[in-house]
This record gives sequence, structure tokens and C-alpha cells, in this order.
Amino acid sequence: MSRNTSETMPAARSGSRKATPRDPIKYVFLWPAFLVVLAVGLFPLVFSFSMSFQSLRLIPPLPPRFVGFDNYWTILQTERFWHVIGTTTLIAVISVMIEYVIGFAITLALHSRVPGERLFRISFLLPMLLAPIAVALVGRMMFHSSVGPLNDLFTHLGLPNLPFLTSSNWAVGAIITIEVWQWTPFVILMLLAGLQSLPVDVYESAALENASRWRQFWDLTFPMMLPISAAVVFIRLIESLKIMDTVFVLTGGGPGIATETLTLFAYQEGFKKFNIGYTSALSFLFLVVVTVFGVVYLSLLRPQLEKRS
Amino acid sequence: MSVAAKSGSAGRDRVVQQDGGGKLRWFVLAFCLVWLFFTLFPIYWTFITSFKPPAAVSGGPTYLPFLDFSPTLQAYVDALSGIRGDFLKPFINSTLIGLSATFLSVLVGSMAAYGLVRFDFQVRLASGLIFVVIVFALFFGLPKLGLTRIQGIGIALIVGLAVSLLANRLRLPGPVLGNRDVLFWFVSQRMLPPIVTAFSLYLLYSEAGRAGLVMLDTYWGMTLAYTAFSIPIVVWLMRDFFAALPVEIEEAALIDDVPRLRIFFQIVVPMVMPGLIATSMITLAFVWNEFLFALLLTTSEWQTLPILIAGQNSYRGDEWWSISVAAVVSIAPMIVMAYFLARMMRAGLTIGGIR
Repeated sequence: MSRNTSETMPAARSGSRKATPRDPIKYVFLWPAFLVVLAVGLFPLVFSFSMSFQSLRLIPPLPPRFVGFDNYWTILQTERFWHVIGTTTLIAVISVMIEYVIGFAITLALHSRVPGERLFRISFLLPMLLAPIAVALVGRMMFHSSVGPLNDLFTHLGLPNLPFLTSSNWAVGAIITIEVWQWTPFVILMLLAGLQSLPVDVYESAALENASRWRQFWDLTFPMMLPISAAVVFIRLIESLKIMDTVFVLTGGGPGIATETLTLFAYQEGFKKFNIGYTSALSFLFLVVVTVFGVVYLSLLRPQLEKRS
Repeated sequence: MSVAAKSGSAGRDRVVQQDGGGKLRWFVLAFCLVWLFFTLFPIYWTFITSFKPPAAVSGGPTYLPFLDFSPTLQAYVDALSGIRGDFLKPFINSTLIGLSATFLSVLVGSMAAYGLVRFDFQVRLASGLIFVVIVFALFFGLPKLGLTRIQGIGIALIVGLAVSLLANRLRLPGPVLGNRDVLFWFVSQRMLPPIVTAFSLYLLYSEAGRAGLVMLDTYWGMTLAYTAFSIPIVVWLMRDFFAALPVEIEEAALIDDVPRLRIFFQIVVPMVMPGLIATSMITLAFVWNEFLFALLLTTSEWQTLPILIAGQNSYRGDEWWSISVAAVVSIAPMIVMAYFLARMMRAGLTIGGIR
């Protein structure tokens, strides 16, 4: 039953595509978006790519001069760059993993009509709608050593006052906590929308066969949710790699450079020193990092996705 | 915990026929309650802190209004009277820019997503390369002929597009890119670190200003920037929702010679309403909360709320009551929106169920 529907759907779709491949109306649909993104996105790309091969600084003024790959070599030999890559990757991967697992669990709970589901639904979606700048300020309040409620709780439990924002490991943990707090809702929102569009009849037949809930999840829900899951995790990974606002307000990259992320590093170079050539090269290396992430991620996932369709 | 276990055995009779696991159900509820506390406590904390007198903040944590401290509106009075900066104008700016950028990007983006789901697009790699070569050549060549950078990029864009469109009609050798690649191009636009995009956009806007078209610190400049950077995420998200629709309804309408655009707006859009609402929600939140672009592209007239909030931090040190007021002003509209959107999503889903 279920296999039947999943096999006929793509066939019907590709059939209809072939019926109207040359309909000129299709350009009306695609071109407005294409033109806007191209016009606004092209200049930064061309400009920063050309700048990455030049030495150019605004303050103090240094006229543009072609230096080839010098900027890239300088960065690759900087130890700080590799440290920053490590920190950014660590924060992104760990927080996205936690977000996905907790997010999926809560999505299933909401979908199974847990009591009070309406209240949960609204409040669980809330954090992602709040400004990261404001959330980071709230975080500073929560983790504050003397006026924050978290350390107050630890004092009551007889634990020592923890240096949340001033010790390297705790500070990374605090950032991951804030990331999870703010972005698990995004995972819930997308997975919930995906879960609600799943066909009901598949579950009805599974219930007739007395399949356990555990089996239903691994045999039906999880595979059917794989495409939307892939999309959600991908978006979250890319966005996490660009994390800046939160770190900027919460720790400013400190203590030392313990929590400095790639964007913050680029910001320090670009806006404190206005070292445009160096920053451009840095961001293209950043782009390489993101692309490597994306390619590895998609190649790991593609067999799973193709097995399904 | 013990209470939950006890009432669990009492309520099992009711639950057991529904899913056969009363214990599981109580575990799920407990899990949800823990997460609810984790989610809401920081917001609660911010909210009560905004009503605290200074002594109730600096003397250590206080939790309950009226018991731990006597609430005061002083921080709000200070904020409204403008002592700590004008709150009203950034608020209006954020609303106007947020709504228009969301509307434009969801409209244009979901049309593109629909196009990518229902039609085949073919771009020859060779013509794409021709475009890139022409753009780079003109971008670097034209300034040497005495044109400004903004004229250079404009001409490069138009000439590059025209030539590569013509080239796409020829049977050039090399691979042909399809819809997947067009989608990847859209998504890849979001990969470039925002710091570079924002900075080069600042340079582009200031050059445009020198050419007579003022973009920095204007409504249109901000709306255009936010629309362009929201479109990729709209295309990516909406494509999945369109792909899940059955084609049969549209095919029936096509046989009746209903124009494609009417099919899209009158048949397809209502069917994907929940997805459309979810996408709009994400886009609006993204624009409302965005910091870096606003920091660089505005100076005074069109400054948005995040700029004001960031300013609260750096100028005021540990005055947590006033910082909380700023946070509440930015958070409150989003709470209201979350409530209405959650309701709309429920309504949209029941319509979908009938279908």
C-alpha cells in the first residue's frame, strides 16, 4: 500500500514536467528571484574575490596592490586561524546535534497530542523569534557570577560559583547552551511541518499490523522525514558556522581567543583594522570550509536519500 | 516525580486504548515540562528584571515580584521619556522594513520555488562560465576607461546576462545544469560569510550614493538588502512544500486552460498555506533580529531595534533593569506574533485535513 503511493507519485510528477517543458511562463516564476539575488549578491562576490588578491587597508590608508596568494598564505600560517576553525566547528557540530535530537523528540511529543500541546507549541517556538543580540544579553544575565540565577542555584546546592563566562570550557558550553536554547525551535518548526504532511494511511495500516511505536518510528517516520531532516540540519549547520552576534555580546571571543569564531575573527580584522584584502581572503577560506562541510555532509547523506526514492 | 508516577497509574485506563503506553505518555509530558521551564525561565527572568528597582538586581538574584522585591515602572518611564535613546523610531523602522522585506521575499521566493518544482530549467555550464568571464572582465576593465565602479558592475551585469542568455541557446559543449543546480546556486548565496557581504554591500551602496541614488540609511536600501538575503532561504524551504503537493489538481486546471499564474495564486498557494506561514515567520524573525547589515547600512534615520539594544549593552554596563526593558521591547512583538501564527497554522492545517 505504502510502497505503491511512493512509487507512483514521482512518476506522475515527472510525467507532468515533460508535458510542459518549454512553457515560457516558467521564466516569470524564476526570474524575479534570480535577478534580485544576482544583482545584490554578485557585487560582494566579485568585489571581495578581487580584493582577496590585493593588499588594501582603509585605516591607515594603504593603496590596493596586487599580491597574489600572499593573503591566503599568511592566514594559513596563522595558528589563530586554525584555532578559530576548531572552535567554530566544535560549537556548530555539537549544538546542531543536540538541537536535532531534542527537536525531533519534542516534535514527536507535540504530534502525539501530549496534554497541554497548545501551550507547548507556542512557547517552544518562541526562542528562535528573538533577536540573538537580546538573547545574548539575557544569557549574560543568566550566567552572571554574582547577580545571575544559575550561580545562585549552584550556591544553594552547595556547589562552588562556576566561572561560566571567564573560563574557556565553560564559556564554550555557555555558547552551545544558548545556541541550543535559541535554535532547537527552528528544528521543531520544520520537523513539525514535515510530520504533518506525512500520509496518514501508512500509519493506519501499520497500526493494523500491530507494529510497535518504536518500529513505526524507525521504519516509517524516520525514513519519511529524512529529506526534511537533511534540509533542516544543513541550514542549521551553515547558520551555526556563521555565529557571531551571540559570541560578540556574551564573551567578545574571550577569555583570550577561547570562544572566538570565524565571523568574529573576520570582524576583528575587517572592522577594527579595516584590512579589506586580508578579510576577503579570510572569508573565501571560510567559504571553502563551509563548502567542504556541505560536500561531506551531502555525500554522507545521499545514499540514504536515494535508497528511499 | 512521585506525583507524576502515581497519577500515571490512575490515568492509565483512559490512555491505554489510545497508544498502549501510559508510562510513556507521562514520560513525554515530563520531558515537555522540563523543556518548557528551560525555554521560558530566561524570558520570565528578563520580564521581571525589567520591573525591578536597581537594588533588587545588584543585591543578588530575586525571583518573585511583590515577595522578593516591589516592582517599579521606572525603567519603562525612563525608556519612554527618551533618556536612554529613542525607542519608538527604531521600533517603527524595524516593523516597516521587516514586513515589506518578508512580503517581497516570500512572494518572489515561493514563485521561484514553484517554478523549480514544476518546470525544467536548463543552463549550459559553458554559458554560465561566459557570464562569469564577462562580468570579471568588464568589472576590472571599465573603471580603467573612466567609469565608476557602480556603472562598471551595472554594465557588466546587463551585458553578461544578455550574452550568456544568447549563448545558452547555442548547442555549446559541456554539461547541462538542471533544477538542482539552480537551487544549489540560490542556497549557496547564503554561504558567503555575512561580514563580507555586508561590508561590500556598504561599499556598493556608498558608491550608488555618490552616483546620485541614495541607498545607505534608506527604507529601500534596507528592504532590498533584506529581500535579497531572505529569498534563498524562502526558495529552499518552499520547494519542499510544493514538491509534496499532488499535481493532479493543477493538471485538471491546466486542461481547463486556466493561466499558470492564476493556478499558482488561487489553487497552489492556499494548499501550501501552513508552509507559507512557517516560512514567512522565519523570514520576518530573521529580518527583525538582523544586526550586522543594520549596523553597516544605517546611520541614524532607519536604524533598527537590534542596533538600539546593542547600544544599551555597551553604554550602560550592568544596568540590567534598563537592558531588560530594551530586550522586552524587542521580544514582545515576537511573542504576540508567535501566538497568532501558531493559531493560524492550526486553522490552515484543518483546511488541509478536509482536502
